[in-house]
Amino acid sequence: MSSVASGAIDHHHDSTTSTGISNKKLLMWIFLASDCMFFGCLISTHLIYRLHPPVGTPPASSIFSIELTSFSTFILLMSSLMMALAVNAIQKGNLKSMRASLVLTIICGLIFLGCQVFEFSEFVHVKHLTISNSILGTTFFTLTGTHGIHVLIGVIWLTTMLIYSYTGRLSEKDAIDVESMGLYWHFVDIVWIVIFTVVYLLEYI
Amino acid sequence: MSHSAVASQDHGTEHSKFELFVQIAMLLAVITGIEIVTVYLPFSHTALVTILMLSSTVKFLFVIFIFMHLRWDKPFCTVLFFIGMVLAGFTMWALLQVFSAQASIPLSSL
Repeated sequence: MSSVASGAIDHHHDSTTSTGISNKKLLMWIFLASDCMFFGCLISTHLIYRLHPPVGTPPASSIFSIELTSFSTFILLMSSLMMALAVNAIQKGNLKSMRASLVLTIICGLIFLGCQVFEFSEFVHVKHLTISNSILGTTFFTLTGTHGIHVLIGVIWLTTMLIYSYTGRLSEKDAIDVESMGLYWHFVDIVWIVIFTVVYLLEYI
Repeated sequence: MSHSAVASQDHGTEHSKFELFVQIAMLLAVITGIEIVTVYLPFSHTALVTILMLSSTVKFLFVIFIFMHLRWDKPFCTVLFFIGMVLAGFTMWALLQVFSAQASIPLSSL
């Protein structure tokens, strides 16, 4: 690790553990490691049961909308970029730039959630795939719904941080708080990277 | 090193990091586009699955090492996260082995 690179991440005013990593950051990494197992179980459950759609319904590839899902994926990737820029800005003490990046991240998160609500509504009312009428529906809605809940929590967290930055409860000294939130948001993105490939794209092969 | 030299270096690092983030985001978008096109290509099932798994792994690694700063953080963070990843991987592998497609057929449809 170069001295310039390591110096770029400034954990000022934050208590550190014996590992040299701040408490908040260490807690977030442990949480994300445990969340990996949580999503791992949900994804494998979907993979196991995806072969059993409702009787008489068309294959999953004709239920899914690849255009909508691709758009959602692009939006989430862009939100990750904005989040990375927000963390970079607060680490450099640029509160104004951080606010702008946070607003864009929140907008991206809301667009993603809107797409998911539209998709779920389409599946239930048009494609007649519900959470209770088939195993495919159960595993699909549980997996993507859990991910959606994670995105919603992220959006609420981002909004709270944004409000705090205006009220003075979040300043340049609290870069670690934004960094921890950024880790969570990027994790939500990487989970979607896996879901997009394993749940959606595999159905088209 | 003089104050102005340090400030200049900091500005350069900030600028290069900004560029790196934008480049990685564009790369991720391009890889996603390639993935979408790939599923419509007349390749064998095995080849397509391999390409998709490799591309999503590349995207995954770019996000965790660049956006999540693992590249610049202490190695312990990487170790911690990969412990979770390995455990998740083994859990998934075990579940897929135990509940094969045949075993997952609902009793009501047999």
